[in-house]
Amino acid sequence: MPLRGIRTVTTARNGVGAFILPCKRLDFHYCDWAGSSRGMLAFLKHALPKFATENPQIEIRVSPRPHKHPIITGHYINGREKSICVRNLEPEQIFVKANLLKEASGEKLKRTKKPVTSINESVRGIWSPYHGGLKSV
Amino acid sequence: MKRLQLQRWSSSALSSRARTGGRLQRHLYSSNRFQSTNPTPLQSEADQSFAEEPSIPSTTTPSPKFTKYQLPSPPIQAARESAKLAALHARLYLPSRLPLETLARCLVDPSADSNSQFNNVPLAVLGHDLLTHYTSEHLICTYPRLPLTVIFAAMFAYAGPKTLMAMAREWGLEHAAAPGGEVDPGFLQFKRVAPGTDTNAEPLIGTTRPNEDQKTWRKSITSSVVYDNEFGDPDMAGVPSSESSESAIQTQYTEGVTVEQASASFVRALMGAIYLHAGRPAAKRFFEQHILSRHLEIANLFSFNQPARDLSRLCARENYEPPVAKIISETGRKSRHPVFVVGIFSGQDKLGESVGASLAEARTRAAVAALKGWYLYSPLNVRVPSSMEEKGAAPWKPVYVDLGEVIV
Repeated sequence: MPLRGIRTVTTARNGVGAFILPCKRLDFHYCDWAGSSRGMLAFLKHALPKFATENPQIEIRVSPRPHKHPIITGHYINGREKSICVRNLEPEQIFVKANLLKEASGEKLKRTKKPVTSINESVRGIWSPYHGGLKSV
Repeated sequence: MKRLQLQRWSSSALSSRARTGGRLQRHLYSSNRFQSTNPTPLQSEADQSFAEEPSIPSTTTPSPKFTKYQLPSPPIQAARESAKLAALHARLYLPSRLPLETLARCLVDPSADSNSQFNNVPLAVLGHDLLTHYTSEHLICTYPRLPLTVIFAAMFAYAGPKTLMAMAREWGLEHAAAPGGEVDPGFLQFKRVAPGTDTNAEPLIGTTRPNEDQKTWRKSITSSVVYDNEFGDPDMAGVPSSESSESAIQTQYTEGVTVEQASASFVRALMGAIYLHAGRPAAKRFFEQHILSRHLEIANLFSFNQPARDLSRLCARENYEPPVAKIISETGRKSRHPVFVVGIFSGQDKLGESVGASLAEARTRAAVAALKGWYLYSPLNVRVPSSMEEKGAAPWKPVYVDLGEVIV
């Protein structure tokens, strides 16, 4: 066979066509007894319904976690999860933390050193010493 | 364990009224439903409307002796209560005309529920045809000179099961450990293959290709256009379902499917469901946003065996002067790291140029570059035939059609 096709898989570019929010689930855990959950209980009562309506693409679970500090856990489409302990925080501060988990990509935090990361090949190409102004020795 | 013949009790608990809201789907359901429950299979429209009347009170009082634990897949009513399903609907920006019940049905694989009125097989058939149709017309119109093997590979890369599985994973789809009526309908319901099963063990039978048992016979590319499927694989859809025995279908479903097969059938079924509920423009938009927006470097799909021979045949066919390889520049011929820059010329025109560590390597690479330059020709502002289906479309101008690949 003179010419074969090589089987590959196309690479996803989230946001080029459709944008899928990486955060798929937020778990809110609280304790009915402990004082560190006071802000969390107020958040669940008053702020969470509005938060849930504004973000319909996130599944929200609320469950008690007795005798433990309140936490928020985010589950992401890459399979990772992130947890934040929100003990003794006010409802507004908890809202900030929930937003932080919502906007996270789920990846480990890493320092970006290059201004651009791209899967497209360079428009200019790689420099070659054998082209252009050749110097005769 | 959870196997239950739905036909026996479906008229009481799940009549056509209790099914999903779509008018088209309800019509499809009711026609099938009454054909199965009534002794007379063929009825007129008026008879069907009469037959629908007595079933109304029974929908409000479902039989209590059947619990959802006995169902093979989640009941219809569970779709409205699932947070996971609603979140998936919102995450994919699905049109609001696509109800949650249909999305739940897309998630039921035939290995979980063999009843085709509750699983995603009918939707997946439609969605698969749409996906491959849109992909193939895009590829052929955008790259009219692509060889057929590369078109097969590109089709596989855009709409093949591996890509569809990756898409479902990137949508955040989760799998049920085992299917059942009590499972949240937001999970993908399928029966898994038993661990240790060799999936490649069984021989391929029932394909559309004649003399399929002859392993040593050469399979030409031209014959794969006729006999194989859109990815160049053996086509298993050739045998009509009436001929294959019921027991064979049952064993195929009870053996379980892989995650790849189940995820791919979900994505196909979703495409079909969008087409049915929201119409053709929405399906086209979904295809462009989710399939066509993915990145594929078509130049990397080529694997040449003898590029210099192909190029000389191509030049002969196109009445170009025979290609000649010339050294453009070189360095270190006697050293450990020689570099040669070789160009391939046809008369005065340079067809391709490349760098190699030996003269033969540089010449081969230059021939590959010349062939890719020919095969990857892409006209500007190309339109696909399905763009004519829109209202008020401009008159059709024929797209460029090439002679085809070089036959050597």
